[in-house]
Amino acid sequence: MFLPKQQQKALAEDKVSDKKSAVKNDNAIDKKTTNKKSLPSTDQDTITFAQLTDTFTKIEATTKRLEITDYLTQFYKQVILTKPEELLMTLYLTINRLCPDYEGLELGIGESILIKAVVESTGRTTAKVKEELKKVGDLGTVAQSARKNQPTMFKSKDLNVPTVFKNLKEIATASGSQSQTKKIGIIMKMLTSCNSNTNEVKFLIRLLEGKLRIGLAEKTVVVSLANAIVLSNNEDATKEDLERGVEIVKQVYSELPSYDLIIPALLDGGVDNLQERCHLTPGIPLKPMLAKPTKAVTEVLDRFEGRSFTCEYKYDGERAQIHYHDGKVKVFSRNSEDMSMKYPDLVEQLPRAIKPGVKNFVIDSEAVAFDKQTKKILPFQELTRRKRKDVKVEDITVKVHIFAFDLLYFNDKPLLHEDLTRRREMLSDNFETVEDEFAMAKSMEAQSTEEIQAFLEESVKDSCEGLMVKMNQGESAWYTPSKRSMNWLKLKKDYLSGVGDSLDLVVIGGYYGKGKRTNVYGAYLLACYDQDSESYQSICKIGTGFSEEMLDSHYKLLNPLEITAPKSYYKLGSAKPDVYFEPQAVWEVLTADLSLSPVYTAAAGEISERGISLRFPRFIRVRDDKAADDATSSEQVSQNIYI
Amino acid sequence: MLEARMSEAGTLKKVLDAVRDLISDANWECNEDGISLQAMDNSHVALVTVHLSQDAFEPYRCDRNMPLGINLGSLTKVIKCAKDNDLVTLKADDSGESLGLTFESSNTDRIGEYSIKLLDIDQEHLGIPVTQYDSVISMPSSEFQRICRDLSQLGESIRIDASKEGIRFSVEGDVGKASVLLKQSSGASIEREEESEEEEEEEEDEDEDVKPNVDEDEEGDVKPKDKKRKSSKGGNKTKKVKKAKKDVVEDGVSISLQQQVSLTFSLKYLNNFTRSTPLSNRVTLSLSKDIPLLLEYEFAAGHIKYFLAPKIGDEDAE
Repeated sequence: MFLPKQQQKALAEDKVSDKKSAVKNDNAIDKKTTNKKSLPSTDQDTITFAQLTDTFTKIEATTKRLEITDYLTQFYKQVILTKPEELLMTLYLTINRLCPDYEGLELGIGESILIKAVVESTGRTTAKVKEELKKVGDLGTVAQSARKNQPTMFKSKDLNVPTVFKNLKEIATASGSQSQTKKIGIIMKMLTSCNSNTNEVKFLIRLLEGKLRIGLAEKTVVVSLANAIVLSNNEDATKEDLERGVEIVKQVYSELPSYDLIIPALLDGGVDNLQERCHLTPGIPLKPMLAKPTKAVTEVLDRFEGRSFTCEYKYDGERAQIHYHDGKVKVFSRNSEDMSMKYPDLVEQLPRAIKPGVKNFVIDSEAVAFDKQTKKILPFQELTRRKRKDVKVEDITVKVHIFAFDLLYFNDKPLLHEDLTRRREMLSDNFETVEDEFAMAKSMEAQSTEEIQAFLEESVKDSCEGLMVKMNQGESAWYTPSKRSMNWLKLKKDYLSGVGDSLDLVVIGGYYGKGKRTNVYGAYLLACYDQDSESYQSICKIGTGFSEEMLDSHYKLLNPLEITAPKSYYKLGSAKPDVYFEPQAVWEVLTADLSLSPVYTAAAGEISERGISLRFPRFIRVRDDKAADDATSSEQVSQNIYI
Repeated sequence: MLEARMSEAGTLKKVLDAVRDLISDANWECNEDGISLQAMDNSHVALVTVHLSQDAFEPYRCDRNMPLGINLGSLTKVIKCAKDNDLVTLKADDSGESLGLTFESSNTDRIGEYSIKLLDIDQEHLGIPVTQYDSVISMPSSEFQRICRDLSQLGESIRIDASKEGIRFSVEGDVGKASVLLKQSSGASIEREEESEEEEEEEEDEDEDVKPNVDEDEEGDVKPKDKKRKSSKGGNKTKKVKKAKKDVVEDGVSISLQQQVSLTFSLKYLNNFTRSTPLSNRVTLSLSKDIPLLLEYEFAAGHIKYFLAPKIGDEDAE
């Protein structure tokens, strides 16, 4: 193609050197390789997008975790040594995000906009692109081949990481009447700048879709980041140094999940000073600690026998992390989404529970729907029926009641490494019960099976899900963010009747209904999420537990999510639904038992070559507080099967 | 400042129609030679240049070079307010804030005055290399338009093969395939010439002495291996061909061929380019391997040139 003038010159020079190379062969090869391979790092202006996508390509090509960690570590290290100020953006692009979760900035680009941009920038027809998408299942690949077949007139300036990141942010924040056009404009501009000899187009489209899908788990990113920081300070770091670094970064990230704060601190002071500089801070939500499910009361005693432990009501509501600082209240969901808009009443009523002398705090609690008249806890669904945004206090019919059960931060001091007993003490000392609004979770110190059993039955009578059993003292009584810890056990009423645990599964496919269920989906294909491979693994077909109204409403919700071909990251096994859906809807499903299955792929390879399936799955409810990748993981599934 | 008066608004309308689907905003560069525009479409796959010669205006006055950044959609809206045979006057002062347009009805009892705000468009001027094309085809513009339109019913890419047989347009799609062959019009002859300064493609040069009317029959007989004989004569012939081209009957097809070419293009763009058809009866296609197609429409007031990057097949993509 034509080239802009300067580049033409460069090309001409290239040709000249090529001719020379014909004469002096050996010399020229040397020259060429040095020219082409990684540019001398010092005089590079910026990290190019091609460098990033090259790393993605390498990562995508392997499934070996160690190799992936190694590629990413090398890449981050290069960034740290050449352009440390671009590390943050590079990292956000590798995890396909724009900011910490709690800021809630998302790209929000529909597939149709992307198709339009691909069509417009490559001269293909919409029908053809859609047809190919159906075949291939990944718009990135389709766009890549379209770009290859239709080069541009002139080679544009190389895309670089800061430009891509800035553009993505601009797309995410664009709003108003012309925003659609503006978004397409930005996307087109980036697409035309992509070099067709790299995988830039493919990964750019996937980034825009919000689905990078290169088999890169976030924990690998954290590990690579830590390694890169350690190695860039000390080339000869030992294995122990590296492991220590990873431990520190992991722990700090779990308390303060904000790369915005951690990365500058890491670049400045390395891993050694990280803990001093970055720790739990009110206003920045941390990932909540999770509990392991247990099957029977006796299992609790097996684990906690002879130790001091507490049993607590497990309320049927929504996890709410309440942050208070500078006189402001913020509520975060279990996904660290800011829920203050959803619960304006909560923000308003909470200060009434704070005793004088409290400056700031972080409380872990359960937000429950509550009927003021009957003084009864309402089913969780009453809460989810509330609007998500712009809720006005006076419009609220269902009251929110907070049951607090943990205190993580109090008056400028993180309490994660205090005993549970101490944390609970401080909680009850500094907050007071407000009728119909705020209370401590009901608890008791039990010792015997009978006591626990009785308390469990009582909790069920009080419309709770069951009990949480927690270690009281010692290191196992610390609050460990984001961990599904053995130090917290949950005991649900369902388990007692022998039905087993419920799972939160993603709806990935549908089967056309027959008879009464004509015009709606008759059954659905569900999947669990495998964090390591970032894939959805089919687990069961479900057709029971639905009322007619439910089927209707599911149809309405799922129909717009229909996609023509399974996503490349759906591991279907031999399940063949009639239609596939975008991975979005999460359902809580009850099962009698788990069994090995020749059809489904869930957790295949972890226990046996075969996957795991559910026996007699039954729909319980929609979990719209959970995102698809928060669904029950294949790891959890495999841990719960007993053969 | 700029002041330029054109006798027929219709020409401006047609010029705008020819480019406005391809580009939305562009700088019109005004200088003493006339008014011209160069812009890539926003996919950067096609490039268009428009030139309106100062001869097309009477009077024409442009003191210094100035760019007029214009949203073509807005300009089209304004131009639509003029009748085809209205007199148009374009005016812009040195402030670069707006472009004034005056439409005077030919029977002079109506004068419309319009003005458009100018935009500040950051545009890189791209150097287009002068290329010696392997094959230059001139044909009726309406014929080219028809071919593009017809073939786009079947597929999204068109292959253009220029050989001594003629010029063949073909398309393949899911429903079937199609091809249209245009032969050299009688009276004119297919000329294949050798380049006077040969570069790398010596082996591919063909024998040049082929009799005009026998061509179609002995298609595969002339092998590219045949060595060239009289390069000096070839040089002379180029001139002759160029002269001949001008005399070619309005509806004929003339092909000047130095080398066989086969290139594939996206029909979407070509269909877009054929919006220039009303401007000129003839269109010229210039083709060379691995180089953008040049599509040229010449008309009394100037010309429009389109460049389009060829598509690359999957097999030689890597």
